[in-house]
Amino acid sequence: MKKILALLLALSMVFALCACGGSSEPAADTADDAAEAPADDAAAESDLAYVQGKGSLIVGITDFAPMDYKDANGEWIGFDADMAKAFAESLGVSVEFIEIDWDNKILELDSKSIDAVWNGMTLTDEVLNSMECSNPYCKNAQVVVVKAEVADQYQGVESLSELAFAVEAGSAGESAVKDLGLEDYTAVPTQADALMNVAAGTADACVIDLLMAGAMIGEGTSYDQLTYTVSLTEENYGVGFRKGSDLAAAFNEFYAAAFAEGTVEEIATVYGVQESIVAE
Amino acid sequence: MFQTVVMSLNEGFVKSLEIFALTLLGAIPLGLIMSFGSMSSFKPLSGFVRTVVWIFRGSPLMIQLLLIYYAPGMLGYNIWGTGSSGRFAAAMAAFILNYACYFSEIFRGGIESIPRGQKEAGQVLGMTGTQIFFKVTLLQVIKRIVPPMGNEIITLVKDTSLVRVISVYEVMWNGQAFIKSSGLIWPLFFTAVYYLAFNGLLTILFGWLEKKLDYFKV
Amino acid sequence: MALLEVTDLHKNFDQLQVLKGISFSLEKGQTLSIIGPSGGGKTTLLRCLNFLEMPSAGRIAINDDGGSHVLFDGSAGRELKAAQIRENRLHFGLVFQSFNLFPQYTALQNVSLAPRLRAKGKEDRKAQLRAIEEKSVELLRRVGLGDKLDYYPHQLSGGQQQRVAIARALALTPDVLFFDEPTSALDPELTGEVLNVIRQLARENMTMVVVTHEMGFAQAVSDQVLFIDGGVIVEQGPPEQVLGAPTEERTRQFLRGFGKG
Repeated sequence: MKKILALLLALSMVFALCACGGSSEPAADTADDAAEAPADDAAAESDLAYVQGKGSLIVGITDFAPMDYKDANGEWIGFDADMAKAFAESLGVSVEFIEIDWDNKILELDSKSIDAVWNGMTLTDEVLNSMECSNPYCKNAQVVVVKAEVADQYQGVESLSELAFAVEAGSAGESAVKDLGLEDYTAVPTQADALMNVAAGTADACVIDLLMAGAMIGEGTSYDQLTYTVSLTEENYGVGFRKGSDLAAAFNEFYAAAFAEGTVEEIATVYGVQESIVAE
Repeated sequence: MFQTVVMSLNEGFVKSLEIFALTLLGAIPLGLIMSFGSMSSFKPLSGFVRTVVWIFRGSPLMIQLLLIYYAPGMLGYNIWGTGSSGRFAAAMAAFILNYACYFSEIFRGGIESIPRGQKEAGQVLGMTGTQIFFKVTLLQVIKRIVPPMGNEIITLVKDTSLVRVISVYEVMWNGQAFIKSSGLIWPLFFTAVYYLAFNGLLTILFGWLEKKLDYFKV
Repeated sequence: MALLEVTDLHKNFDQLQVLKGISFSLEKGQTLSIIGPSGGGKTTLLRCLNFLEMPSAGRIAINDDGGSHVLFDGSAGRELKAAQIRENRLHFGLVFQSFNLFPQYTALQNVSLAPRLRAKGKEDRKAQLRAIEEKSVELLRRVGLGDKLDYYPHQLSGGQQQRVAIARALALTPDVLFFDEPTSALDPELTGEVLNVIRQLARENMTMVVVTHEMGFAQAVSDQVLFIDGGVIVEQGPPEQVLGAPTEERTRQFLRGFGKG
């Protein structure tokens, strides 16, 4: 673990140097924009200026491997966490991770108790409407999880109608189940609850993120009796900021540059999600 | 929109009230039986009941909900099935057991606080144990336990919101759903109005009951 | 034959012997006073006779108009059933030191409760209930509380409460009425009214056993006095003898504490 951490630190330093050296022109522009902004609009209008003013970017997350989770030292790591560290550094601020109740993420943003939601968040219509979202940075799918012993019976979408599902309330998984016209489903508080229902047999199947399924079920996990079969809707992950925030644009710019340099792929490879990353 | 929210919250609150009413219906008689068990001179029985009370009062109700609902299935004996009725049944089992434990202690305290002379006065008048309990002791016990029971019952109203952890949809779940579906935050806060109104009603009811029993002193 | 016969009554609490063989008999219409120091076994004796405690050994028998009833026989070697104990108790009434009225019932309801419960399921229940009501009112009049029928215990003075308790104990027409220090919990100015009621009952030839510390009262009202100490009867006889000219040193010593003898 320590080695990985060291590697990450090194990576982010290299990255920071690159950002300063290679793209000094855009950075200067951004600084100019930020300086001009107060003259044109009220200072409070610029979220970027607000974050830079207080010197820290507060990122709302949940414990969600491999995007955000803790290493042996209690340090937050993961693809999202590492990207957030890099982004904060590009803004010249420190980063702070706070675990939030996922259901209350919009409330958290609006009350300014966090500045970003960065946690493998699917860009649904609801999310797009209530937050200022970044461009997609990662693609994901919703997969059906069942007990391994019956997996061969449920390899096709048409076989799902006889199953009782558990899905996270308000999640992309719930939308997917609804879109298929499946009636026998129960909304549960979290994806972890959905898995627990399948393990306990109180639901036949659940629909969760492919990324989460990859990390949480199968051999070597506490759900080794579960497996995933059908892949339902494809979807995109994005970072959420306050409605109207200029941080979204700042992130898009940062991400495009980092992607071009290969930094994004390097970090993604550390967490095994290199196949999923996307750039516009 | 306001109307949609209120309709949905009403629906959730009906579920909350169902949990509330069924818990009282189950936990009061069970609590009474348990209070007799804990006062029994047969040591294994009183010891058993007191251990059960310790477990259910000593651990969070939320854990009890999760354990009662998930543990049987994880051990290979899913007794709750896959439907919403199983979730509701598990929630009721947890609530009735938990509250019966609290009630049994209140009942025990109430019964033990009645002077021994009351029972003896009944005995020397040739009354049976049952007659003494129902005609002499019970009303005095009720008078003594109205205030602590009022407290517990008001707590119960608020505790019904815990069933959401095993996906029984009560008023708070429905309120929170609007955050996810429509980005509306106020419905969640608005659920407090339901709890306040109902608890206001209960407060009045308990005040009335206390007054009603004020005609004698114990 | 004597109405009440108590023979060699013993009571142990684990290792502690509280009653070590009490024998006495009581004729119908007589009043027996029991005196003695606290902890000597007086109250335990009353509680055993009313089966609030189960005697360890001995015999209790009642000889009334209906014949002879052995209520308890320690040598029979079997435990009494709850129903049998209840039947036994109906021969006796007990007035407690601390009244023990039922606080949620009026004076009248306190008196009529037990008889009403016994009338349950009887054929002529309605007529019985009317009779019970009338009798209860009559009993409360006899103890001077005809104007307090609908008062609750907390609205009555201690003396009045004890008089209600006496009426309640009489409601089931016991053969023998027991009093356990009936005035000890009362303020001195209230003892008179209760003692007067007991005196009146004595005049009406009620058979009574009174545990008391009121020596003047015991002298005036009793036909027989028992001095109990250490779980045994130290001295027994007519009041003039036990209270006036005791033969035992322990009796004399005890009475000196009351400014007599």
